[in-house]
Formats: sequence, structure tokens, C-alpha cells
Amino acid sequence: MPPQRTYRADALVLRSVPLGEADLLVTLFTRESGKVRAVAKGARRSTAKLVGHLEPLTVTRLALSRGRSLDVINQAETLENFTPLKTNLTAVTRGLQVAELVDGFGSEASPNEPLHSLALSTLAAIGQAPDDELPLLHFQLHLLAVSGLMPELQNCVECRRDIEPDRHRYSADGGGVFCPDCTPDQAGLRPLSLRALKVLRLLARSRAADLPSLRLEPVLTQELKAILTGTVQYWLDKEIRTNSFLNHLAQDQTRRQIPR
Amino acid sequence: MTLEHLPSAAPSLARLIQELNKLPGIGPKSAQRLAYFIIRLPEEEAFDLAAAITAVKQTIMFCGQCQNLTDASPCSICASSQRNREQICVVEEPLDVLALERTHCYRGLYHVLHGVLSPLNGVGPDQIKLRELFARLSDGAVKEVVIATNPTLEGEATAMYISRHLAGGNVKVTHLARGLPVGGSLEYTDELTLSRAFQGRQAVE
Ligand SMILES: [Zn+2]
Ligand SMILES: [Zn+2]
Repeated sequence: MPPQRTYRADALVLRSVPLGEADLLVTLFTRESGKVRAVAKGARRSTAKLVGHLEPLTVTRLALSRGRSLDVINQAETLENFTPLKTNLTAVTRGLQVAELVDGFGSEASPNEPLHSLALSTLAAIGQAPDDELPLLHFQLHLLAVSGLMPELQNCVECRRDIEPDRHRYSADGGGVFCPDCTPDQAGLRPLSLRALKVLRLLARSRAADLPSLRLEPVLTQELKAILTGTVQYWLDKEIRTNSFLNHLAQDQTRRQIPR
Repeated sequence: MTLEHLPSAAPSLARLIQELNKLPGIGPKSAQRLAYFIIRLPEEEAFDLAAAITAVKQTIMFCGQCQNLTDASPCSICASSQRNREQICVVEEPLDVLALERTHCYRGLYHVLHGVLSPLNGVGPDQIKLRELFARLSDGAVKEVVIATNPTLEGEATAMYISRHLAGGNVKVTHLARGLPVGGSLEYTDELTLSRAFQGRQAVE
């Protein structure tokens, strides 16, 4: 039996770019079948009803038809707009990083339901606490977990012995923490503070919907960011593009807080 | 049929197709169709087209003030004594200026960003004409900045960036009223909706 010509899907819109005169090319992450690229015909004309439901960072219920190269979106209806997230500049940029990484780690025609749920609960968490760094850090760690790339945080990757307090190093390409006796050849072995290791273990156990309330010192946040960004970028095998604007916003924020 | 299958006896044709293929929205097949259309044009029409492209490149520049495309800097809007110099309306593209001018409800000046902030595509504040906007506001002559970026995620992010940058200063920042279709663009919005959005503009806190 040939596959059906039309189908329905609930999807997070990751990206939408103009195509031709008035069409939109939309990258979707569906619960049912992973990443899908589809076209919305005529969507950019103001009379088109589709366009508002196809903005990035919107969960939308779609009716699609299979096409030869791209599927075609016939109907779209917003299920969740993440409005709190979209009214804060830093929050929306973090949300776009979620979209960028789901796009990078999700694959076409192969569903990853845990990643879909993780993305949605992360966007909600960012919207609820727009000034908190934790939801995005949590997302990065769990993104690795649901992609089968979770770094080892309990035992030495090499000899499997328990990690002694404060005597460990971390390597993204080595796959996690190392004891002082094991020095693998891989480059990128870096120190990891005990506090950062503890936060990582705590984040690994937490769900996005109820993150612990932690007041992280800036130094510790920086360390966690460096480790997680480094690991995600290692597997992504390219730069995380949204980071440059996020860093710009953070610097801008700091400049404003220091009185002249 | 792709470029590789073209007869090698016609390198000038291949070159034309290649150049047309660089235009936005023009794939290899459309480029080929356009090229064959141009070949069948009467000679003077084809030369007119070439001359128009040459003329536009030789005379069109960015206005030193509003950054709109113009054949004289300052452009006719910036140079006009009829315009209110205390208001600047910020838009994404030159076509948005035309759309707003058609409504006849705005008599201030413009500023064209030539894009929007797009973190996913690596477009930051330095890649669009934001620095030029903030420089225009530094002497205190402008009292109101009307943000008229498109009601899309990136248009809104750009609007938030501008109002955040101007917060606490002496410039009043307003934003076109909602009612513009979300995800749409000014260019495709009818004049009535657009002039209503203009009249209902709201202060950004
Ligand atoms: Zn070891
Ligand atoms: Zn001008």
C-alpha cells in the first residue's frame, strides 16, 4: 500500500524563510516523524491565513500533502505560541538557540519524541524565567542525552573508578570526566570544578518543567556554559550561530548594570 | 537541463544564465527561460534593459541620512522642508517606505535598516544599519522613533533591541499598532490596515 498523500502532524516551527515570490519554506520538528521541510504556498501575502501559524517557535497543528521534493502545508493552526518567551529579547534568542540545536541534532524522517518534548518544555521554562540561564543549560545537557551523546559524569571514562572530589578533568571528545591517573591522548582535556560537576549532575536528574532554583555565581555560569557549549559544538561539528548574538546581549546587559 | 548540458559553443549564453541564476528566487530553470526570452527580444528592448541596469548601478546610492536607496543624497524625503524632522520611522526595507508613503498619514522622516536581526542566520546589530540610526539620534533633535519593522519574530526582536537600546533616553519610542497580520510584511499589507496601524501606534515601555 502506498503511503497516504495527505497527513496531519503537530510540529514545532524551527525556521521559516521566504521562497520565491510569496511562499515560505518552513523547517518543522514533528512529534510523529522528526524533521520535515515543507512549503506554504502564497503564505507571505497579507491575505494568507497560514503565515501567523508558521512563525518560528510556534507549536502548530498541520495538514500536509506529500510532494516530490517538499511536502506542502495546506492548513495550520497554532496550539502554543510561547508568548512570554517572545516578549523578551534574551528569552527569544535563547528560544532560537533551542530551534537551532533541534534543527542540528534532529534528523529527517526519524522521530525523536523525547527531543520534541524536551524542546517544548524548555521553551515554556525559558518564557517563565527569562533572566535565568538554567533552562538553556539544562536543554543543552539533555539534548546530548536524548541524542545518545550524554557525557559521563559519575565514573572515569577510562578506568570506570568513582570520581574523587575535586580531582577530575573533562573532555568533550573523550566523552566525559577523567580521573587524574588516566590521561587519554585526546586534546581538549580541561579542568572541571567540583561545583560545576555537581550542577551538571543535578541538571542531569532534573526535568525542564521543575528546575531547581539555583543562584549561580557568574564564574560558575561561565564554566558551565563553556563546558556545555563546547560539548554541543563538538557533536554539532560547527559553531552555534545564535551564541554570538546571545553573547552580545549579555555584554550589553553588563555594560548597563555598571554605573558610569 | 542544467548549466553543464549547455552547448559549449555559446559561452555568452551560459554567462547570461549564470548571472540571472544569482537573482533571488531564480533557479537554474527560470534563469534559462529568462535568458531565452532575452535572446528573442528585439535588439533595442534588450539594450534598454542592459542600459537600465547600468544606469541604476551608476546613480543609485544609500541616502547618507535615512539609508534609503536614492539617486541623490540626502534623498528627496530627507531634503524636504515639508517633513517633520522630530520623527523617524524605522523600517526594514526600501519597499516599506513606499508602502507607508502610499498611506499619506505620516509626514516624518524614515530610517531603512536593510534587514532585521536574525540570530539564526548570524545577522547581528553590525550587519544592518542600526549604528547609523543611533548616530542620527545622538544630537537630541529627534523626539519620536516609530518602529515599523514587520510583525514577524525577527522584526519583533529587532524592535525590542531598538527600544532596549533607547530606553532611559529622551526619545519617545512607539511601535505600530497590532492588527497587522502576524508573520506578514508591510510590503503586502493594504493601505487602510497600514494607516490604521500607524495612527494606533503605541508607546513602548
Ligand atoms: Zn581513570
Ligand atoms: Zn534620506
